[in-house]
Amino acid sequence: MASDTEISDFLKSVEKKAFKRAYYHVGDEEGALDIVQDSMIKLCTHYSDKPAPELPLLFQRILSNTVLDWFRRRKTRNALFSNLDDFDHRDDLGDFDLLEVTTGAADAPASQSAEQWLGRVQTLEHIEKAIMSLPARQREAFLLRYWEELDVAETAAVMGCSEGSVKTHCSRAIQSLSKTLAQQGMKP
Amino acid sequence: MKNFQTSATATTADMDLWGRTLAAQLDVASQDLGHDIGERLRVARQMALKTRPIPQRLLRHSLALQANGTLSGPPDEGLNLWRILASALPLLALVSSLMFIQAIQQDLAETDIASLDSALLLDELPPDAYTDPGFVQFLKIQLHQNARHD
Repeated sequence: MASDTEISDFLKSVEKKAFKRAYYHVGDEEGALDIVQDSMIKLCTHYSDKPAPELPLLFQRILSNTVLDWFRRRKTRNALFSNLDDFDHRDDLGDFDLLEVTTGAADAPASQSAEQWLGRVQTLEHIEKAIMSLPARQREAFLLRYWEELDVAETAAVMGCSEGSVKTHCSRAIQSLSKTLAQQGMKP
Repeated sequence: MKNFQTSATATTADMDLWGRTLAAQLDVASQDLGHDIGERLRVARQMALKTRPIPQRLLRHSLALQANGTLSGPPDEGLNLWRILASALPLLALVSSLMFIQAIQQDLAETDIASLDSALLLDELPPDAYTDPGFVQFLKIQLHQNARHD
């Protein structure tokens, strides 16, 4: 059984990635924070008796299910209130907001020129937007397989599908990302 | 950068390598979340840790400490023969003490009766004389005369 310290350290080590992963799915910071918090609470409430080595895969599974729950809740809410404003967050995919970029200017290394740093941030933004524009299952497979560095079997277990489906999703995701980024002249 | 849609010879290994290279750049994005998001994640983590149920063994320990403070017995931890025997010891000591006292008192009473019996039997006057009405009358007269002389 994982101790308090082990669980705390584990959550601390995954919380930022989990937030970004949720953000890539839902495109909303508030929603992503809610998803990460719900996932942490579910892990602590229901699975804290599990040994520490099992926590990473369990948490990935919980996070995936919580993202699905978030979409289900939003779908229900939209059906009830017909709030079309929720679709607006996807409209800014082509925009570039200099103010958002400059908020992290203090973190830029001194040896790096402003132009280089801005170029790197823009590249990262294009990559993130390309990932966010992927279909949900392809995005999930890509992030789990390559960002969370799970193997095909683990990714299949988290996504609840076959290993063949994971390979297909990953292949299509990479082809789509490659095409999108190539059109923008991006090099990873 | 390779364009895998146009490259028919792209292998799975190439695609995996490309995917990992691309995903590695996301690490930068996940580290620069800003102070506000970092703090909210910290608070979320602490809230989640508070919801963790207390392990059963710790709960038992804390209850035992409370029981010690209130002089009530420890919580039931199942059938423990030694614990049952230990709790029955004071009762056994009380019962055995009462039985010992009763035996001593009985011995004392028997000793008194035996000494009285032996005194009667060793006296020159036989015990049957006390049942004779004439002897009893004689004793009364003797007692009255002694009283007058005094």
